[in-house]
Amino acid sequence: MTTVSYDDLVATATVGLSHRPLHVTGLTGAAGEHAGVLDSGDQAAALLDAAALMVAARRAGAQAAAGVPCPAPAAEDTTAELPARAADLVEQARLADPVLLASLLATAASLGYRAAVPLLPALLDAAVKDRALRHPVAAVLGARGRWLAGYRRDWQWVADAAVPGTAGHGAAADGAAADGAAADDSGVWETGRRSERRGYLATLRARDPAAGRELLAAGWSRETGDDRADLLDVLARGLSAADEEFLETALDDRKASVRAAARRLLARLPGSAFTRRAAERAAPLLRLEHRVRRPQLVVTRPDRADAAAARDGITARPPTAAIGPGTWLLIQMISAAPLDGWVTSLGLDPEQLVTLPVAGDLRVEVHAGWRLAAIDQASSPWAEALLAVPEPGDASRRPLDAWPRDFQLAAVLAPVARAARAAAILADAPESLDALAEISSCPGPWPDCLADAVIAALRRAVTVAARYRSPAGLSRWSDEYAVAAGRSLPATGPADHAAALRRLASIDNCPTYWSRALRRAADTVALRRAFLEEIR
Amino acid sequence: MLALAPDASSRRAAAGLAGPSSWSGAGTADGLVWGWCAGSGKDPYQAVADVAGPSYKCSCPSRKFPCKHVLALLLAWAHGTVPEQAGPSDYAQAWQASRAAAASRRAAGRRQAADGSAVGQDDAVAPRRAGQRARRVSAGLAELQTWLRDQVRAGLSGAAAGGYRHAEAIAARMVDAQAPGLASALRRLSAIPASGDGWPGRLLDEYAQLHLLARAHDRLGALPPGLDAVVRFRVGYTTSREDVLASPAVTDRWQVLAARDVLSGPVPARRVWLRGRDTGRFALLLSFAAGGNFGANPDAVLVPGTELHAEVHYYPGQPPVRAVTGARHGVAAGPRPGAARDAAALLGDWAAALAQDPWLTEWPALLAGTPAATGGRWYLVDSAGAALPLLGGESLWPLLAISGGHPVTVAGEWSPAGLTALTAWHGDRAVSLASVSPGLVSPDPMSPGAAVAP
Repeated sequence: MTTVSYDDLVATATVGLSHRPLHVTGLTGAAGEHAGVLDSGDQAAALLDAAALMVAARRAGAQAAAGVPCPAPAAEDTTAELPARAADLVEQARLADPVLLASLLATAASLGYRAAVPLLPALLDAAVKDRALRHPVAAVLGARGRWLAGYRRDWQWVADAAVPGTAGHGAAADGAAADGAAADDSGVWETGRRSERRGYLATLRARDPAAGRELLAAGWSRETGDDRADLLDVLARGLSAADEEFLETALDDRKASVRAAARRLLARLPGSAFTRRAAERAAPLLRLEHRVRRPQLVVTRPDRADAAAARDGITARPPTAAIGPGTWLLIQMISAAPLDGWVTSLGLDPEQLVTLPVAGDLRVEVHAGWRLAAIDQASSPWAEALLAVPEPGDASRRPLDAWPRDFQLAAVLAPVARAARAAAILADAPESLDALAEISSCPGPWPDCLADAVIAALRRAVTVAARYRSPAGLSRWSDEYAVAAGRSLPATGPADHAAALRRLASIDNCPTYWSRALRRAADTVALRRAFLEEIR
Repeated sequence: MLALAPDASSRRAAAGLAGPSSWSGAGTADGLVWGWCAGSGKDPYQAVADVAGPSYKCSCPSRKFPCKHVLALLLAWAHGTVPEQAGPSDYAQAWQASRAAAASRRAAGRRQAADGSAVGQDDAVAPRRAGQRARRVSAGLAELQTWLRDQVRAGLSGAAAGGYRHAEAIAARMVDAQAPGLASALRRLSAIPASGDGWPGRLLDEYAQLHLLARAHDRLGALPPGLDAVVRFRVGYTTSREDVLASPAVTDRWQVLAARDVLSGPVPARRVWLRGRDTGRFALLLSFAAGGNFGANPDAVLVPGTELHAEVHYYPGQPPVRAVTGARHGVAAGPRPGAARDAAALLGDWAAALAQDPWLTEWPALLAGTPAATGGRWYLVDSAGAALPLLGGESLWPLLAISGGHPVTVAGEWSPAGLTALTAWHGDRAVSLASVSPGLVSPDPMSPGAAVAP
């Protein structure tokens, strides 16, 4: 009598009964009771009989495991979940266009909504793949989304953006409010994840800026480099001269990203030693010479960057070989200096300064520095002045990586001025790439002046294309214009732009490339309208 | 009458509409009751019901079946406030006629199907053919038994040497023997020797199951009738859809629990799991996408989270699971199933089901539990702490999101390897986990009373 286990059967069957005979008469386990039915005449049949019995016993005897710990549940969400229909629209946008998705999520966050829970994994995945979605997704995670993100490192990176202190993302502040309960617990600061610690620090900073800074400074030397860079950003809120001393020490940090974060903050402190140093470094570079007819600027090229300049972020190595080292120093030093300093030291308005000729054919370099400075310092008077004069030099002479394009400069203008400018360019030169760049970069919803200008320009282009069957004017960019129109035409308000786009798509002889693009744009506008109607 | 109401709010709404002031042109004749009820739309809704059915139709867009208008109409009729008329209104007559036409179409279809099996065959030919097939199948199974014994005599390691298609010859033989069920099982197990560590154990599992089937087939006449049908089905005898539709039906409000596409076979298949709200019975609707499209099959387009008021016919065999839908009375958004069970109950059902069909590969699961990870594996932990392993990779993330660390209602398939979660309920919304797009609870409602041609 041979009582066998299933493993014995497998071992024997693997080698083969002809090599290792086995006469099975008894079985272990529940199948043992039925060993009487095993074939007594044929060893192979008996083995298969035994296997059949034991497989049946194993399958029927499947047991649940015990002692699996359940996770700590997510905190209760205080914000409202997007309603079902709005969530469907978000899903449509996710599949169609990341920019549209980002704008829907930003709208949802600004109205106090969080994402629909079933969509959280897909949204987190989308934000991992597309950095531009990181902040919009982080802002709608809610307590549930942040809890879920804790299960995956890549998702955690997205969730880490869901705290205030990250300049320019007001919606993210809601994230911290939802974490308020956790943020009151000082244990979070000692042992929490980076996002939780940022939340804690941000809450404290909002309540008491000095206490926030001191808490950060107290444990500064024990933080890792990434933590230092991330936590330093939190000081952007409530930034004041009192933070200067601490930020100055951070300029000597081992980690480049910490030094960069400290420089960004110091540059925003008017009258700080940092900005004073930048002004002093730049002042000798430009002086005014009064010639017979009209004044001109004379440039003194900086010869080298000393250690102090390097500490303040001036780099000796140009980003590309196309820019010479001296030119690069000049551009950096001008762009780092406060723009107001030029008005004071040279005694002229921005409008006058930008029209001055520059000796030594260096107007391009000087303007490059001013353009960068106007963007960094968000100076709309300077941007306006710089945009009012023709771009100096021919395009090939402009330093590629240090020459902000007009539309980038226009981003600093007040929204209405920016839209009016875009509308004017579109009316003047509808076929130009500049017009396309301005329109595509002008954030929606567009003011009426721009919306009307775009519709009018589209109508002209479609009419011409339908009549002459040739893609003239902005027809070359039909897809790009349609995408921009879909994303940015106002979805609500008196004018039904979706209907206007559909009417254009259905005019006689409208070429397919136009009608298809316009219908898609109309659908996008309609989707945005439906979304707003769902959540308003 | 109110027992028909799908929920309490319908009952309340119907009671409010049952007064005569809500109705115009209401009447009753020939067992029908009809009327016009002013609703939120421009035109009043036309409702009509057969009091004997009860079956009904209403022009309102409500997804509840019956809707509040039909309920109110029936209530008014029960209260005796609907005046007797000489004959049905045009609308009621038209509805009656369309129902009769659908019924006769169904009956004709069934007759035709029954005739079809005998077309071109005189009475002597059919049994002769059946006997011929039975002999072929028996001969094939005898060969299969010999082949299986040869495998364990020579050693399974030979199967690895035989490569991917080591069972191809015997599978082809089973096709000749008119036992397609066995042929496809043999083709499936061809892949096992290449499936990594522990493959000899998995291969012996499959051989043992085939051996058991062959043994059972040897005793076909002596088996209990239910088991007899199981063996015939597993071997590859088919039952025509028409024969199934001719069998007695189970009428219920069938909650669509889950849908799963099985793309590994030669033809893409979809399994749709139903559970009757009143009977508590499960049903599996299996459809195939010949030509890559499920759209033509009304059983394949059912959406989890909806509720199908219909007649369901089970295939012969035990436990009764596989089914087709017959007459349909409507599809509506359904509530979250309230009958979620625990792991012990599921495993008990599974063991009982195996006693009836030892070759079962999956079983419907409707559970409440919390997803939890430990040691790199996911489990669904019920309120008693019993944990079932979860299968399914990426689909677990939406499940985890919906749970948030709290118990969640899950529908899916249980197999000895673990639980495949297919649907989870987020509040009252059913979310299909495989393809998470939340639009899944808003299907196009079918018109009430629409019958499906068999």
